[in-house]
Amino acid sequence: METNQQKELSPFREFWHSFAQNRGAVIGLAVLTFFIAIGIFSPLLAPYSPSQLFEGTYRLPPAFTSGGNIKFFLGTDDVGRDILSRLIYGTSLSLGVGLMVVVVSLISGTILGLLAGYFEKHVDSTIMRLTDIIMALPSTLLAIVVAAILGPGLVNAVWAVSIVAIPNYIRLVRALVMAEKKRAYVTAAHAYGAGHIRIMLSEILPNCTAPIIVQATLGLSEGILNAAALGFLGLGAQPPTPEWGTMLADARPFMESSPWMVTFPGLSILLVVLALNLVGDGLRDALDPRLKK
Amino acid sequence: MKLGQLLFSLILLIVSSGAHAGTTFVYCSEGSPTSFNPQITTDGTSNNASGHPIYNRLVEFKYGTTEIVPALAESWTVSPDGKTYTFKLRHGVKFGTTKYFTPTREFNADDVLFSVERQKDPSNAYHSVGGGNYEYFKAMEVDSLINTVKKIDSYTVEFKLNKPESPFIANLAMSFMSILSKEYADKLLKENKKEDIDNFPVGTGPFIFRSYEKDTMVRFEANPTYWQGAPKIDKLVFAITPDANVRYQKLKTGECHLIIEPAPADINSMRKDSNLKVMESAGLNVGYLAFNVKKKPYDNLDVRRAIYHALNRASYINAIYMGNAMIAKNPLPPTIWGYNDKAVDYDFNIEKAKALLAKAGFPNGFDAEIWTLPVTRPYNPNGKKMGEMMQADLAKVGIKVKLITYDWPTYLAKSRNGEHQMIQLGWTGDNGDPDNFLNVLLGCSGMTAGSNVAQWCQKDFNQKIVKAKTISDQAARTKLYIQAQEIFHDRTPWVPVAHAMIYRAMSNKVQGYKIDPLGGDIFREVYLQ
Repeated sequence: METNQQKELSPFREFWHSFAQNRGAVIGLAVLTFFIAIGIFSPLLAPYSPSQLFEGTYRLPPAFTSGGNIKFFLGTDDVGRDILSRLIYGTSLSLGVGLMVVVVSLISGTILGLLAGYFEKHVDSTIMRLTDIIMALPSTLLAIVVAAILGPGLVNAVWAVSIVAIPNYIRLVRALVMAEKKRAYVTAAHAYGAGHIRIMLSEILPNCTAPIIVQATLGLSEGILNAAALGFLGLGAQPPTPEWGTMLADARPFMESSPWMVTFPGLSILLVVLALNLVGDGLRDALDPRLKK
Repeated sequence: MKLGQLLFSLILLIVSSGAHAGTTFVYCSEGSPTSFNPQITTDGTSNNASGHPIYNRLVEFKYGTTEIVPALAESWTVSPDGKTYTFKLRHGVKFGTTKYFTPTREFNADDVLFSVERQKDPSNAYHSVGGGNYEYFKAMEVDSLINTVKKIDSYTVEFKLNKPESPFIANLAMSFMSILSKEYADKLLKENKKEDIDNFPVGTGPFIFRSYEKDTMVRFEANPTYWQGAPKIDKLVFAITPDANVRYQKLKTGECHLIIEPAPADINSMRKDSNLKVMESAGLNVGYLAFNVKKKPYDNLDVRRAIYHALNRASYINAIYMGNAMIAKNPLPPTIWGYNDKAVDYDFNIEKAKALLAKAGFPNGFDAEIWTLPVTRPYNPNGKKMGEMMQADLAKVGIKVKLITYDWPTYLAKSRNGEHQMIQLGWTGDNGDPDNFLNVLLGCSGMTAGSNVAQWCQKDFNQKIVKAKTISDQAARTKLYIQAQEIFHDRTPWVPVAHAMIYRAMSNKVQGYKIDPLGGDIFREVYLQ
């Protein structure tokens, strides 16, 4: 009895135990937590409003280089706005966009995948052919087309990026459901007279969550990247919204003369996406029993 | 095949520049010409590749100025009623010999008649070639102005006008009035290859067209028999390079000798480079924010004045133009005659703006839209950023601005239909005449043509500029134009923003180049040291 208690860790602690073994994942999580904190507390942390123009301080270099001003730690952009403040406000935007994309694509993708995997036949072939059509187009191109049809704007960019991401979830969930469906517990539930919806939602779905969580984490980074790409092309956030991709695009003409203007938004995108990918990898290792030692 | 050609031309380039130093001149241009006939094109890119190197006009602008000098016409007389112009044509002007055409006769009156009639006469065999739309010819109202063109003898041509019009001579100096070879046109007509006239040009200009590859390059050779003397460079190459950063890199490595429109942010580092030189000149241009006065609340004068006061234009000059421009207070640039220097500019004053808005019935502001320029133009290097600054300025007086933009052709088309509320636009002068600004951009006739995006048809203003058009005395015209600008200043259909400087960067071996105030790049007198 006593030995049993010691050996049996709670599921969360067991997960944490294997997650913590992956150092990259822990670092990624720390970076991510840092950015999330910045995102949540952005109004408190930012020294200025992101759209406040400071007359006469155009393209000021960062404070730690020569010619910098301590008032503007990361320098100012070409119309005299504080880059640090814009980055801080941009954090909540970029993370928020990523999260929205995941929520939208996860919910719709999971529902469609469940239906396709569970019912097979006509339902399956209809959904999968639609998926094939979407997947036949390069993802960025498709996002551009959708954003161009809906019109530029942050909300429309979320829709565009979500639509592109949906097929990943459909295919993943469908494959999982098809495998689970043949298990004995599903047959047992059938035998007890459970309805389709009950079997789908409370029998099969809970057993598919681990891979879906991993996919969602990776989808988060992809969503941020795609939204930034749309912003870069002018189809995402509209001015003066301080979105990272838009900031990057606006700074491009000044690459030679004011390199800090492209450096910091680019670095932010890089760090967040890298952190998310590391966390995603760590989650997969920790959640997939087959990869456990 | 293409690679082989390129390699071959590269070798040629190297060999020829080794043989006699500095005989090939490479100009990095910004885009592909749409055609090699300035009669049917309207963009500066096409004009640089055809109007200036290949063709001449009866009269031309003196290199680097807007002064009119005789060209293919040696002299001209105007009848006392101002309606008959008689041109004496120059003798001994030869058309260039190309691979596809060898002229047998010199330039004469038939060529002038052909060049005008192609644009004017729908029954001309060439009228519908290339779309049949002669935009400039119509926009400058030359089509309705010219009654008849008559050949008196081989070297005398008479233009009869429907009414006296003083900018007429300046219009003749514009590229759309270039003189094409009738002999060449007749030959193509016989061979049933009429379309070639716009793509394989033959002209009297300083350079002869050799070849063109879309998005790659255009090649010219010097015309050895040019009537003003052969140019000092043997070969002229336009290397088409749309990206300003790439143009700068090419200039640094010596791949081009001169580049068009360097990015404002790079000007300082170019100045520091001892191998380069930067030339600048006050541009004949104006960038502005126009109100659509047909829409509410922009029909209200107080609202327009409030917005005028609320915009901190000095900060735009510093941030967007990097200081390379001056604040505009008139629709005319100061480099043109007739500029109203006495006008007192509206100052940047938020309190005044708020008071005016309150007076107009909008104490808390309103929701507005500004269309921002989607492309870099000489008069506005970054419309989007200027829009963001305007947005921030107007937010201070409670006007919540949404920025909107479209691709360039759509932007122009929609603005012509008057779909906008406030819109950023601008203008570079075509012929150095104030009429080219005031009438085209603000006259009532510009409303139907679509160039008056403010949709502003002010009776007293229009009277002045229409009257100024019909008199030839410049002092009297100046007086009328100043009065017209005073009316403009009072009614503010636009907020004039800036008159931008024009820049060209070149290797310091380049000599004899002058910036054309009308925006062209002309290489007739250029040479390499």
